[in-house]
Amino acid sequence: MTAARSKLMLLLPAVAVFVLFLVFPILMVLNESFHTFEPGRIGSVEGGPLTLANYEELFQPVYAQYFAQTYVLAICSSAISIIFAFPIAYCIARTEFAWIQKASISAIVGLMFLSSLVRVYALELTFGSVGVLAPLMSIMDINTNSRLYINFVILAGLLQYSIPMSILILIGAIKNLNPRLTEAALSLGASALAAHITVTIPLSIRGIVSAFLVSMTLGVSAFVIPLILGRGRILFISNLIYSRFSEIANYPSGAAISIVMMVLALLLILVMSRLATSLERA
Amino acid sequence: MNVLELKDVTKKYGGFTAVENVSLELEPGKVLSLLGPSGCGKTTTLRIIAGFAAPDGGTVQIAGEDVGQLKPYERNVGLLFQDYALFPHMTVAQNVAYGMRYRGTPAAAIPSRVKQMLSLVQLAGMEARYPSQLSGGQQQRVALARALATDPKIVLLDEPLSALDAKLRLELRIELKEILRSVGATTIVVTHDQEEALSLGDEVVIMHAGKIVQRGAPTQIYQSPASKLVAEFVGRSNWFQATRGSSSIAGFTSYVTSDGVEIRAKSPPSDRDGRVNLCVRPEHIELMDSAVTEAPRDADHNSIAGVVLDVASLGPDVHVVVELPGKARFLAIRKNVRKIPGLAPGQCVRVLFSASDVLVF
Repeated sequence: MTAARSKLMLLLPAVAVFVLFLVFPILMVLNESFHTFEPGRIGSVEGGPLTLANYEELFQPVYAQYFAQTYVLAICSSAISIIFAFPIAYCIARTEFAWIQKASISAIVGLMFLSSLVRVYALELTFGSVGVLAPLMSIMDINTNSRLYINFVILAGLLQYSIPMSILILIGAIKNLNPRLTEAALSLGASALAAHITVTIPLSIRGIVSAFLVSMTLGVSAFVIPLILGRGRILFISNLIYSRFSEIANYPSGAAISIVMMVLALLLILVMSRLATSLERA
Repeated sequence: MNVLELKDVTKKYGGFTAVENVSLELEPGKVLSLLGPSGCGKTTTLRIIAGFAAPDGGTVQIAGEDVGQLKPYERNVGLLFQDYALFPHMTVAQNVAYGMRYRGTPAAAIPSRVKQMLSLVQLAGMEARYPSQLSGGQQQRVALARALATDPKIVLLDEPLSALDAKLRLELRIELKEILRSVGATTIVVTHDQEEALSLGDEVVIMHAGKIVQRGAPTQIYQSPASKLVAEFVGRSNWFQATRGSSSIAGFTSYVTSDGVEIRAKSPPSDRDGRVNLCVRPEHIELMDSAVTEAPRDADHNSIAGVVLDVASLGPDVHVVVELPGKARFLAIRKNVRKIPGLAPGQCVRVLFSASDVLVF
């Protein structure tokens, strides 16, 4: 057996696991999405005709609203988390003191271990309609029951995840950058801000894109955050998929929505990595 | 007026004093080498001049202006980094043009200035390449062009040639010197490589443990080192611990080494307690076959019997290790030329050197 073939053989167990537990179930979802659903049943009609109806249905404006709601908040949280995470990550990556670096990284990782349910209720207790800050909100004439306000609270919930995650990703990207490059820019007359815009940020664009995509993933797939903080008034696609599967047992429709989300995610990755390549050589 | 003036500059990191009371001044167009072992404070001095480190004491003046409060980008100082620090996402032309945008070169004048700088460093036509497409030597030239393009008041070179291989280093050293001279750049070269320091600098400053230990012309530093420390650091030497002997003839004192070898040297200006360190440079030594009859010695001459231990031919030079009485080892460097007869290990030789070439500390 040649070396190349034995290497392939070594890959086999991993590939088998991947296919069995990931690819196969997704194919099942794909299959389900093309089946017909009859109200009252659990799942699709067995042996029923294949159909595109589950996808056609998604073109109705009410679905666009769900998608817009989810993606707008996810994009906002991703962009905001990059803006906040970059300076923090830069300071942590470039500090002279090793202990500051270790302590901050431990704190951030520790923060991510906190259960999402706990974080969400913490936000509700603080910013909710009966939260400790509610009196302050009413003084400032902010309606804690308005749709806009709820959007902000959900955004805060998403940022709780995406900021620490982005910091961790960006620390790695910035640490890979030669600090002399920033110094070279400064010595050539660029102000600190100009040096960041022309050198540090373009050279960490891959990290920024990764952080953005991971934040997007967290945001788009958020389930508990909109479920609790949205108070039933704002729902994400994940909540919609859940209700399709669990509450009305319309598996084909839930499957179709899931497939659309996956395609959108792949498109997003494609666009972002194209963008990163063009920005790198700008 | 001096382009650069450091007065009593001190920098501490915690309990460690990196730079202590360093004072320097530099005239326009001169090249000064800062030479010292790693950790001697030379790089910290450079970073203080560039504005990347703030001194704890003392003042820094560039062109008569106190720059103590100025940020790196507010001082017009050109910096060449050891690893060049070229911007990998920009072309050669963009790299060279980078500083000009901020230093007030009119946008219309930038392309022609880039062209001019690149032809100065012999890289005309490379404008569109990226740093990753260049060799180490070419990257170094781009970095130099970038640093010189803004017409800085001072150019600081941090170990400029250390990332290059030996042959390229020599070529680029000569070229670097020519370029610096042609643009009349006032320059500080920081290096731990004595050849680099002595060859590039009009003057050399030797630093040790944060302090300046000697400043002088390259030949002066080598021929009359101010202390044992400088003599040890610059060039190779044979060292002997010795005590003053009895005789003293015609301004030469005779010393006896710890191995009992008698060596004559110039009498030191002030007589200390009689214990001295003698230093003999290997290239000042002549080796002669013991069988050959010796010419009559004058007071200036040392002649010691020894046995050749090892002969190593290093191309232009031959390094000969001779064992002296009392097992002391002695290195002699001879030119690898035909008229000097070869030596073989085991051969008995006489080690000859002039007493005025012996350094006494």
